[in-house]
Amino acid sequence: MFSYYLKIAWISIIRHWGLSLLMICAIGLGIGAAMTTVTVNYLMSSDPIPHKSKQLYNVQLDSWDVNDPFNDGLSPPTQMTFTDSTNLMKAKKAFRQNVQSQASGVIESNDPEILPMSVNGRANSADFFTMFDVPFIYGSGWSHLADENKELVIVLNKETNDKLFGGENSVGKSLRLDGNMFKVIGVIDQWEPKPRFYDISTGAFNDSEDFFVPFNLIAEEKIGRSGNTNCWKPVGDGYAAFLASECVWTQFWVELKTEQDKQDYLAFLNAYVEEQKEFGRFARPLDNRLSNVMQWLEDQEVVADDAKMMMAMSFMFLIVCLLNTVGLLLAKFLGKAPEIGLRQALGASKSTLFSQYIIESACIGLAGGLLGIALAYLGLKGVESLYGDYMQGLASLDSTMMMFALVLSLVSTILSGLYPTWRACNIQPAQQLKSQ
Amino acid sequence: MLVMKNINKIFQTADIQTHALRDFNLTVNEGDFLSVTGPSGSGKTTFLNIAGLLETYTNGEFTLDGEDVGKLNDNGRSRMRNQKIGFIFQSFNLIPDLNLFDNVDVPLRYRGFDAKERKRRIEENLERVGLASRMKHLPSQLSGGQQQRVAIARALATDPRFLLADEPTGNLDSEMAQGVMSLLEEINQQGTTIIMVTHDAILAERASRTIQVKDGRVSELEIFTQQAIA
Repeated sequence: MFSYYLKIAWISIIRHWGLSLLMICAIGLGIGAAMTTVTVNYLMSSDPIPHKSKQLYNVQLDSWDVNDPFNDGLSPPTQMTFTDSTNLMKAKKAFRQNVQSQASGVIESNDPEILPMSVNGRANSADFFTMFDVPFIYGSGWSHLADENKELVIVLNKETNDKLFGGENSVGKSLRLDGNMFKVIGVIDQWEPKPRFYDISTGAFNDSEDFFVPFNLIAEEKIGRSGNTNCWKPVGDGYAAFLASECVWTQFWVELKTEQDKQDYLAFLNAYVEEQKEFGRFARPLDNRLSNVMQWLEDQEVVADDAKMMMAMSFMFLIVCLLNTVGLLLAKFLGKAPEIGLRQALGASKSTLFSQYIIESACIGLAGGLLGIALAYLGLKGVESLYGDYMQGLASLDSTMMMFALVLSLVSTILSGLYPTWRACNIQPAQQLKSQ
Repeated sequence: MLVMKNINKIFQTADIQTHALRDFNLTVNEGDFLSVTGPSGSGKTTFLNIAGLLETYTNGEFTLDGEDVGKLNDNGRSRMRNQKIGFIFQSFNLIPDLNLFDNVDVPLRYRGFDAKERKRRIEENLERVGLASRMKHLPSQLSGGQQQRVAIARALATDPRFLLADEPTGNLDSEMAQGVMSLLEEINQQGTTIIMVTHDAILAERASRTIQVKDGRVSELEIFTQQAIA
């Protein structure tokens, strides 16, 4: 009977194309608006490294002013001082650990035809690449020894390698960065985790870096540091004073395999802070935190409130569209009262008619869903053009979202069709047959 | 066999009670061609709707082929309508969106016949009413008489034991009406029990038995059979 119901639904939709089109448009608009905002929210709140997000922890230490706590005392600073991050690195208490900061510089190619380029990069530890599963096309990241020896090595992203070396294997070649000669040891493939969880201080949805160099080169002033810096205490004169200051500007991540490892590491952090208190630092009560990737993104409210508000509003719009659809379906089904009465006379039970009209609703919902996907695609393109690079990668419909759109459309239309269908099935056949 | 004993039907609105049928008693035997006459508002159509299980009755006993209709739920009533009863209406009641083939197909779908059997029955019955060549036409492309013939083909497609006809010639000119009546007589002669509501006394006389309904009751004095007269 299912194929029969489909056939009847198709005939009904075609014969009453005007009404059907109105319903499909109403559902399509609602689904399109909802899916545009849901997709943005979904991508904003998705797990950027699902297979190990529960093993990667951002480390926070509360080194802030006792009289003017960071974030009103609700949470410790989101970044760490150079002193603490280098101390934690030296302790090597985690399975893997990474200290990092945003960096920037000017790259000069050995090829005189290629103009110098201003680039954004990252100064990080050797473990960065293995911790965050960074994919390589050529070569690899550097070793711990290279970190310790402050070697002038560099990893390029694909785009930079394409610009500088025409996409060829550049491992072993050299280039000049901020006046220093660096040796290329690796080229990473396209890698754009969204959100860019490992450093949200400079924008959770910014592009990935053009290059990566050892973090220790910052202290040597071989590479320029950039990114956010927050201080609560006056900084002395000179770069050494800045590095020794209470300013926070580094991010610190550890990889811990088990819950026990996490507890052990937290105990180590507490012991470290207690030790630092003896030197007159960390005047505030103990508040050291280890947040895994998803906790970190949630704590930092990566999904902005206005995005959530937009999503809520778009769902309200969807509800308005569905209420319109209820009215249109009611008009359509009650307009078919004589046919319904006749079908009852010819042997259709209420459950049979219910199935038939629910399937017709579902067909309209499916068509509305497809239109909604097309409108959502256009909506996301609009969002992308409105917000530019910020929304790059966030404004795209993946297969999960498309399926979600279709299921949402089907379910909501079937729900909308319940009342009209129920009314239609309770039509008294005798009256309708006489009135036809 | 259709048996109604002391059937009452009361239509109730907020303020008014209307007795459409009062202690309605009737037995229709297998093979009967019963015509039901009576003035407008006498309860003829209500009787036919109850007989066709399209409407419930307030109280009384109603058995159809030995089955107590009052005990049937919606599915049971639908099944009985589909298996035992065929309907012909004054205004034909064809589904305008479906062609003749699909119109006749409707009750067969609900019966659950396979595609081959459905096709056989549709073609056979459209052939029987002389419209096999027009099975892809829409009802709007046919004359009134032809539409009624399609309705008859649809009613016969499931091989019903009872054919209920409500003013089947009411919307037809006299020539078409004669054609439809001849078809009904032919169907009756082949064993189908027919109950026909009509205002037309001449057509009513062509039935093997006639009753008159007045004020919701069978008017006993006017019950006769052609055989008895003969």
